[in-house]
Amino acid sequence: MKISDLILTANRNLLRNKVRTFLTILAIFVGSFTIILNTAINAGVNDFIDKQVSTIGGDGFIEVMPAAASEQIMTMMKTGEKVTEYNEKTGSMMSAVISDEDFEAMKKVDGVKKLEVFHVLSVEWMRLYGAEKKYNVNVEYFPAESMNVDLSAGRMTDDTVEDEYEIIINEDWLKPFNLGSAEEALGKTVEIGAKQTLKCYTAPNDCISIVEAKIVGVQAPGVLTMDGDLHINKALDAKLYELINEGVPEEQLSTIFAVGEVEPNKVEDVRKTFKELGSGYEIITVKDTAGMIRTFFDVILAVFNIFGVIALIAAAIGIINTLFMSVQERTREIGLDKALGMSRLKIFFSFSIEAISLGFWGSIFGMFVSMLIGYSANNILHAEGQFLSPFPTFDLVKFSPEVVVPIVLLIMFIAFVAGTAPALKAAKKDPIDALRYE
Amino acid sequence: MKQSLIKPASASRSSEPVPIVEVKGLSKTYGKKSTAFKALDDINLKIFSGESVAIIGKSGSGKSTLMHLMALLDNPTSGTVKIMGVNASKLKGKKLNRLRNKYFGFVFQQFFMNPNDSVLENVLLPLKIGKVKRFSRKKLALKALDIVDLENKAKNKATNLSGGQKQRVCIARAIVNNPKVIFADEPTGNLDSGTGKKIVDLLFGLNKKRGVTLIIVTHDEDLAALCDRQVRIVDGKITSETKTRQARTLKTTAIREGRKEDR
Repeated sequence: MKISDLILTANRNLLRNKVRTFLTILAIFVGSFTIILNTAINAGVNDFIDKQVSTIGGDGFIEVMPAAASEQIMTMMKTGEKVTEYNEKTGSMMSAVISDEDFEAMKKVDGVKKLEVFHVLSVEWMRLYGAEKKYNVNVEYFPAESMNVDLSAGRMTDDTVEDEYEIIINEDWLKPFNLGSAEEALGKTVEIGAKQTLKCYTAPNDCISIVEAKIVGVQAPGVLTMDGDLHINKALDAKLYELINEGVPEEQLSTIFAVGEVEPNKVEDVRKTFKELGSGYEIITVKDTAGMIRTFFDVILAVFNIFGVIALIAAAIGIINTLFMSVQERTREIGLDKALGMSRLKIFFSFSIEAISLGFWGSIFGMFVSMLIGYSANNILHAEGQFLSPFPTFDLVKFSPEVVVPIVLLIMFIAFVAGTAPALKAAKKDPIDALRYE
Repeated sequence: MKQSLIKPASASRSSEPVPIVEVKGLSKTYGKKSTAFKALDDINLKIFSGESVAIIGKSGSGKSTLMHLMALLDNPTSGTVKIMGVNASKLKGKKLNRLRNKYFGFVFQQFFMNPNDSVLENVLLPLKIGKVKRFSRKKLALKALDIVDLENKAKNKATNLSGGQKQRVCIARAIVNNPKVIFADEPTGNLDSGTGKKIVDLLFGLNKKRGVTLIIVTHDEDLAALCDRQVRIVDGKITSETKTRQARTLKTTAIREGRKEDR
């Protein structure tokens, strides 16, 4: 028998007992549906996390902080402990700084393309030029080239200009600024109030300097940008830093964070070198951040996948049962096939293809239903007022052949394995005994 | 027919043609030691191409076992079966399967049809197993159905046929691969005398017109009398062998030689 004949015959045999076949497929369907939908949600969420995290920066983007700071952050994130032990060597999170000496040394490390001091800027307020109302705001500067800001309008900031101050606002600001659309915001000027720390001790009522900046882009909404930190260009960062720290002696200005760009394939080398440098420094890459967020979702989805796997195990037992019944019913047919010269191997395959077909139809059925439900869920969740409506680019459920095809193949393989025992039983039958079977 | 399947062993030592089926010292024992039951005991038989041979015996005499052994559906406890001079015990797996598929046709008392398949599907099963192309197997199956005069029933479900029609379908299935030998196990056992006669006519027609060797297992003396030769089995042993008159003139030498061997 040719393979095509075996497949056709197997499927025709499945149709002989429609109810039994349907119920077996239903069992496989439950498992495959759970796993496929779950995996699609996993893909959707991970894709979203990736997109979100990449707004922080590309593969080569690093944040550098003293090991003391990162250790505490990590311990808190991993264990949930709010109280951590004091480390004599590294000091506290707040006192830990990057020394100038170490900073210069870091710049020379192989693989480091660029390293800049990160300024923690505490500005007072921001308002639209000409308007009265002031709003609380946080601004921060990262090198524009390291960033992948998801813009709904305009362009990225320019770090090469010397005295043009640029800012990117996010869509949350459109309403307070009375701007109808993102496009409308482009080119508008905002005023940022920066407090001159030293001057405020002597003249508390006259220590705020105003800097004007131009809106060059509007950032699309995202989860990680929801904290509202607005991105500014290098010139504005320098200006604000200068204003805030005016009159402060240079030796009192300390560096807590640095940001930079390394060659993506040397990230791990750089990490190692930085760890041993001076009092020890930690780098955080985009992947690290994404990894931390992912772990959380992965755990949840793993639990659901376990349910899917349990369902599949039950389904596999169903397949074994169905096929044993099928072998029993068709004993005489097997005898005839053997008498007419069908080989053991072909008999084996005729049954194992039946099992594989059950797996195939069950998983295809599961795939279609999970796609149907998944896509409907995406649509419903994106509707006005639903929780995904602020994120038009985020699909909760994401299907792709790379995700679905391996699952279908895996389920077919499980079905094949489940079918081996009945198929072997059929293959081993003695033709005479089989023909005499009543 | 593929020639590579079996090369007829050379018969150069004598002018005797090579028997298409030859059994020597064949024994079959079921069970072990104390419960052992000897179904066949030292059977010697030669069947030549184009012959029709009846194996007669009561139920439990061992006649079906003998047929199964000759058709290579079972292995003997001792002794040999030769097909066209080739020792069957030397044929394994693929070759054995191909031999059964290409050289033999089977007609069973209980028909053994796949009830839910169409008549055509049932008839072309041996061709399907033998990897004949889809188009030509349909053509061959229709031709076989034409011979048994059931071409118009090709699309019917096998269950919807009468007993006689079913047996004709089985004959069509048995001849569809153009076999050298047809083994018929009580072919008229489940049929009334009228339909039984039709089946008998068909089988002997194939034997006479196409030279198909016919080996019929039966307890029916009338059916056996129609064969060239009757081999009687009692308790696993051949007790007598007779020839019908017409057969003597047809295949004198062959049978004489065969009988000498069989004692």
